[in-house]
Amino acid sequence: MSTPRPDQENPEIIGGQRVLGVVPGKPPGGDRKVLDEQEPVMVWPHLLVRHGVAALVVIGIVLVLAIFFDAPLREIANPTLTPNPEKAPWYFAALQELLSMFHPLVAGVLVPGAIILGLAALPYMDRSTRIEPRFRKVAVATFTIFMVVWIILTIIGFAFRGPNWGWVWPWQEWYGEL
Amino acid sequence: MIEKIDLWFEERMGWRPIWKALALRNIPKVTWAYTLGSATLLVMVNQILTGILLTIYYVPSPQDAYNSVSFITNEITAGWLIRGLHHWGASAMVILAGLHMIRVVVHGAYKFPREVTWFTGLGLLAVTMAFGFTGYLLPWDQKAYWATTVGTRMLEVVPVIGPWLLRFARGGEELSAVTLTRFYGMHIWVLPALLMLLIGIHMFLVVRIGISAPPKASETEEEGPELEVEA
Ligand code: HEM
Repeated sequence: MSTPRPDQENPEIIGGQRVLGVVPGKPPGGDRKVLDEQEPVMVWPHLLVRHGVAALVVIGIVLVLAIFFDAPLREIANPTLTPNPEKAPWYFAALQELLSMFHPLVAGVLVPGAIILGLAALPYMDRSTRIEPRFRKVAVATFTIFMVVWIILTIIGFAFRGPNWGWVWPWQEWYGEL
Repeated sequence: MIEKIDLWFEERMGWRPIWKALALRNIPKVTWAYTLGSATLLVMVNQILTGILLTIYYVPSPQDAYNSVSFITNEITAGWLIRGLHHWGASAMVILAGLHMIRVVVHGAYKFPREVTWFTGLGLLAVTMAFGFTGYLLPWDQKAYWATTVGTRMLEVVPVIGPWLLRFARGGEELSAVTLTRFYGMHIWVLPALLMLLIGIHMFLVVRIGISAPPKASETEEEGPELEVEA
């Protein structure tokens, strides 16, 4: 849908403002510059301002979490009392989930090793000279599948596992560790 | 005012060329996704500052570790906040480093000439995880003790050197006071040193090579129709 040009609708209203007169010349700030997508910009201010905004958002989120949720502290360590389940923090939950599925050699050594090697070799496996994802479908698809699997394993290991690593529903029993 | 301060320092240390080299240079027009790396960097600074404050009261021996963390949380002014910032910052850092890596992969930013940036990035991710692993033991509460027991047990299955790795990590057959001082030393000396080294290279390269341009969202002339068909 094309917006009617202001001068057709009502010659006096442009962008919600009444035009008192049209004079030739330049606006006070000079000609308005439309930035082309490929045109370079300066780090300051274009990038650094964004970094500043992102920094405020991130530190704000961490601060709110810290204010409203105390870092957990359980009873003092007791080597004779094994908790069930034994849970690692959430960022190792995918690994723990793998360990429950495969032999520890596979889950703890081969899979992590393959992930590290695979990521390290990425620049050499994806050799196309283009960076657009649509020209790198194999690389992007493989990585996406890996990330999705890893995130699902993390969520299962974090929230859906209880005693003896059995299945629990997080809204019924909570065992996740942060 | 600011100009005066700037001039005062400029005359004494000539810092304008540094600002020029860092900030007054051209880069491609980038998106919000490019702030993920610097957000990770910021949370890292948060971890360093709050971590340093925590060491003032923390004592790395089994009985004292637990009591000192409890003391920090319950008695010291704003101790709960410092500890909370360090605790939540750790998770934030893992998430942000992960998202930053995803953006690098989607943009194909690991390609020539940025391989070294990519390798140091992987090192940074590994160091971040190692921080999480070693830091988790330090409160010496039930979850710390047993998460570390499970985590180090995995080392045993590594072929040939497994049993040795396990003893190296634990400082003995079982978790003990030795494990705690070992993890503490890693957490506050070894890993931060590694982190600084890797960050130094990583950031130097980001400035030196320049940030990569985001891929174009739509077809352009130079891509040509035949590439389109192939893809
Ligand atoms: C402690 C963690 C890390 C910190 C503090 C960090 C910091 C940064 C910063 C500030 C940038 C500038 C551009 C941007 O923000 O996107 C950057 C770029 C880059 N990072 Fe990281 N990074 C970390 C981890 C990683 C990881 C895990 C990877 C990938 C495995 C990685 C790979 C890269 C690459 C390839 C670039 C260049 C991107 C380009 O030129 O477009 N970094 N990093």
